Amino acid sequence: MNAFLTYLWIQLKMDVRDRAILLHFYLVPLLFFFVMGAVFSSINPLMGATLAASMTIFSVTMGAVMGLPAPIVRMRESGTLRAFEVNGIPGLAVLSVQAVSAFIHLFLVSAVIYTTSPLLFHSEIPQSPGLYFAVLAVFLAASIGIGLLIGVVARNQSFATMLSMVIFLPSLLLSGIMFPASMLPTSFMWLGRIFPATYALQSFLGLAYQTTTNMDATLSLGIVAGMGLLVFALAIRWFGSVRRGERS
Amino acid sequence: MAEPAVSIRGLVKRYGPSTAVDGIDLEIGRGEVFGLLGPNGAGKTTTLECLEGMREPDAGSLCVVGCDPRADRRVLREKLGVQLQSSALPDSMRVDEAIALICAWHGMGMRPDLIEGFGITGLLRKQYRELSTGQRRRVHLVLALVSNPDVLVLDEPTAGLDVQGRAQLHDEIRAVKSQGVTVLLATHDMAEAEELCDRIAIMIRGRVAVCGTPAQVTAAGSGRTRVRIRTSRGSLLPGGDRGDAVFVGDDDGYLEWRCHDVAALVTQLLGRVQVADDAVEDLRVERPSLEERFLELVEGDEGR
Repeated sequence: MNAFLTYLWIQLKMDVRDRAILLHFYLVPLLFFFVMGAVFSSINPLMGATLAASMTIFSVTMGAVMGLPAPIVRMRESGTLRAFEVNGIPGLAVLSVQAVSAFIHLFLVSAVIYTTSPLLFHSEIPQSPGLYFAVLAVFLAASIGIGLLIGVVARNQSFATMLSMVIFLPSLLLSGIMFPASMLPTSFMWLGRIFPATYALQSFLGLAYQTTTNMDATLSLGIVAGMGLLVFALAIRWFGSVRRGERS
Repeated sequence: MAEPAVSIRGLVKRYGPSTAVDGIDLEIGRGEVFGLLGPNGAGKTTTLECLEGMREPDAGSLCVVGCDPRADRRVLREKLGVQLQSSALPDSMRVDEAIALICAWHGMGMRPDLIEGFGITGLLRKQYRELSTGQRRRVHLVLALVSNPDVLVLDEPTAGLDVQGRAQLHDEIRAVKSQGVTVLLATHDMAEAEELCDRIAIMIRGRVAVCGTPAQVTAAGSGRTRVRIRTSRGSLLPGGDRGDAVFVGDDDGYLEWRCHDVAALVTQLLGRVQVADDAVEDLRVERPSLEERFLELVEGDEGR
């Protein structure tokens, strides 16, 4: 445990020095939040009310899906994973540290959005802050699971970027965070339902803000959790098979 | 006899239809520096990776200080230090962080002895991306030694280093050996192998072509010793074969023969010089080098 915590502390310090991590986890999400927050709150007061939730979904998806895979692919390509392994650090520990550090960064960004959106854009404070952060934790885990899965599946950086975009853009456009999902054509509305962002928004709205939702909010949270468990299991399984393949 | 530090019996490793390692047997004694030589694709790195537990052999048995690399991977990590041929650390990781991380993972405190011993105190605050190739190699060597391993595996440790960096790393390998650590070294550099290794094995096409001390390996070849002589008045001209000695030619005043029986040829040549009332300005006897022996083996294999 001590070794794991030492690694996590070092990883967090490295992340602060890494411009790409700062860009994906902090700079772009916060910039987007400040710009879009102003736009949303002025053109659609209904969306402005739940701005913290929609901007948090954007930030978490951006950081986990766009920011997390690249360092994992880079570690595999450069031989860092092998160097760590021969020095006694198992590959799963590397993945776990990446996941936990991403969780911490994205939780911090989400906390900034949560606290500043009522102050800057007069958005509503959730009826149930506890449930807000519970939904956030589940959605963070699911999104980080997707990021890990992309990181272990992609053989190189360009493939990882392509996979990330395939998840990120539909999550942004079809989940209802940019405009109501009910405005989408039926086929796109259904397509949006394969992404956790869609269910996360329903959970935030129904459980934390206690507003009416298109889907059952508790069931939506369960679906996000289920998706999270599934992608984590797939990521670990895929990683194991990649490592076995490298040994054979 | 003491148990060997490394024992390889009938190791076979295939990649699809091609056989990278084809049933090799090797034993490396404790405290020995053992060199694994061979052309590209000979199976050196694959052999080392099997020992490191990074590759699953298709057949054969391996033992590294009592551990089976397949079954005892955790214990192996404490007993085996490894510097891979191509490895890296995260670009933004500082050297002190890398050492602290590996120490923590081995359940140890920081190793100021290693940091001072390898002269990397000045590098501790530098990020990995700021290090030169030689500095990176030294850092990886320190990391490999953190757990006080019994066996150290170095795969092409001096590849890409300048002369100074190479000499420095050689000194460090000697220092490691002096502490009783067994060193297994894969290299393309014959001079390095001759200089550092107690024994070497030359691998060709996945098999051990020859194994022994550098002197034994060199002597086992069919190469003839080169004898070059220069006299004041050229009394040995125009040269010519003498017994088993083959005359090669003259160059810059030196006449050159290749022979097996050096004593007979030199005695004969000096006798002729004396009779002719000439004087020897320079006499050189050069035994075949390890490199020549290596090339003989590789070219012999290619000719088959």
